[in-house]
Amino acid sequence: MLIEQLINGITLGSIYAIVALGFTLVFGVLGIINMAHGEIFMFGAFIGVVVTATFKGPLWLAFLAAILVTAAMGYMLERFALRPLRSKQGVSHLAPLISTIGVSILLENLSHHLFGPGNHPFRASFAEISFQIGSITVYLVQIVIFIISVLLMYALSFWLGKTKAGKALRATAENLETASLLGVDVKRTITMTVIIASAMGGIAGILVGMAFNSVTPQMGLSIGLKGLAIIILGGMGNVKGAMAGGLILGLAETFVVVYGNSGYKDAIAFVAIIVILLIRPQGLFGQKISA
Amino acid sequence: MLAELINPYHLQVASFILINIILGVSIYITLSTGQLSLANAGFMGIGAYTSALLTLNFDLPIIVGILAGTLMAGLFGIIIGIPTLRLQGVYLAIVTLGFGEVIRVIFVNWESLTKGAVGLSGIPHMGREILKTLKGFGFDPKVFGLQNNQFVFLTIFLLLLVITISIIMFFRRQNRSRVGRAFAAIKLDEKAAESMGINITYYKVLAFAQGALVAGFAGTLFAHVLAYISPADFAYHRAVEILIFAVFGGSEVIWGPVFGALFLTVMPEVLRFISEYRYMIYGLIIIIMMAVRPQGLIDVNILNWIKLKTSKRRQKHGTSSQKSM
Repeated sequence: MLIEQLINGITLGSIYAIVALGFTLVFGVLGIINMAHGEIFMFGAFIGVVVTATFKGPLWLAFLAAILVTAAMGYMLERFALRPLRSKQGVSHLAPLISTIGVSILLENLSHHLFGPGNHPFRASFAEISFQIGSITVYLVQIVIFIISVLLMYALSFWLGKTKAGKALRATAENLETASLLGVDVKRTITMTVIIASAMGGIAGILVGMAFNSVTPQMGLSIGLKGLAIIILGGMGNVKGAMAGGLILGLAETFVVVYGNSGYKDAIAFVAIIVILLIRPQGLFGQKISA
Repeated sequence: MLAELINPYHLQVASFILINIILGVSIYITLSTGQLSLANAGFMGIGAYTSALLTLNFDLPIIVGILAGTLMAGLFGIIIGIPTLRLQGVYLAIVTLGFGEVIRVIFVNWESLTKGAVGLSGIPHMGREILKTLKGFGFDPKVFGLQNNQFVFLTIFLLLLVITISIIMFFRRQNRSRVGRAFAAIKLDEKAAESMGINITYYKVLAFAQGALVAGFAGTLFAHVLAYISPADFAYHRAVEILIFAVFGGSEVIWGPVFGALFLTVMPEVLRFISEYRYMIYGLIIIIMMAVRPQGLIDVNILNWIKLKTSKRRQKHGTSSQKSM
């Protein structure tokens, strides 16, 4: 029982971690909280539903389609909602936040019209396959989700740490102007960051669809808000913090459902951020920044 | 004559416009110190639920419920305001958003008190209660040639109109006072304001609590005008809707959110085919406004231009009337 719940928590947590990574990348580079990330994630999940359920396509095709569509959405987001604000002088620092809230509202209601408001089942061909290890039941889906998340996180860490583009991204995150002076194509780096973050959201969307077997237009909001909570928990713009924060939240929610009141599951994330911002505003893994 | 002009449905819409204007004012107050609070939907919910529960369970008069709900929201505003003022900008926005979400979750889950997601129905209706009281004094709306229904909605509308105008007048006056100048100074530059001897903690909490108070007040009115509330009325969408009033209309002057609330409530009613796409249009409005005119439609320049126009016209009229004399 305990170990099963632990596995459930880790599965949920690794999905949260991927969602949070999308937030944290954009925040790290642009200093912007992308409120539309949850909705892009939800679109990824719906693309998965459309490919696997409506067109009876294979799962890899669903992943590919979701990545392409969400990457395109990421580009549009950057091009139409974020870039016009960057070139302007004297725009309040809240403007990009409000602008992405606009995108999130637009996308949520667009999906209402495109896919309908109801609950869409997500049929992965191996959803019912499970293993029995002693008294513990482990579903294949959970293992797949976990492996994909770990691979994704590893790939992202490698890309950020070792490749030229990743270094350019980190330099831009450090200081936009200096990076630009040192020959980094800042505009391209920013666009790329938003696209990669969105594509990761798309992948996470399919994983959630697989894990919970349900996709609704409202899921973007709730997961998006949780992703937000996680990056605050782990420290804004901190990649490792986002991963750890995701796992912590996933485990906490699972155990509240098991040992407490499941209705309050969705409140944990927010109680956590309110507490963490008041006690340790730099996040659990963040470094103290002197103002 | 009067009876034919009064359409209860139009009055109902007009009442919601007025409530939305009050909500627009509530976000304007916090924005006037440069803080973006997304908790106003939550405060509205606190006000609405407090008042509804008091009047439903204890048979208290509506006016007591409204006062209690408003004060409760204001109290929460202070409690939430003091610790969150350490945070700025984006962080404050997220925490207030989180607060709103926690409030919603509590409304949904505290079923013994709030009846959960189903919501509270049969809340005493403000207009009907007034009519009942008046009838007790032997008054009959037929004196004015009105039906009961028309009279009920007319009283609500007039009452809300008076309330809304008083609120706007109050905050216009406050803007010109010491408090308003302190708000403006904090918005421009917090550090400079502090070094000028302005107690920024006090004024920020004051703005936050005022915003909560006004939002809670709007919530109590909402509960007693609609007679039905549910947690979904005070969720993220409401928070965003309130935000849009200020984003679209502008948050530099109080007329901005007032205009925003007016326009954005009327638009889906007038253009029926739009109302299905209402939130999509809201989203587009936000994106376009931020890119093109981040200060909102109505700012100080526009206001001065309007004043200039009207004063010119007045001058013209003035001279012409003198000539004719």
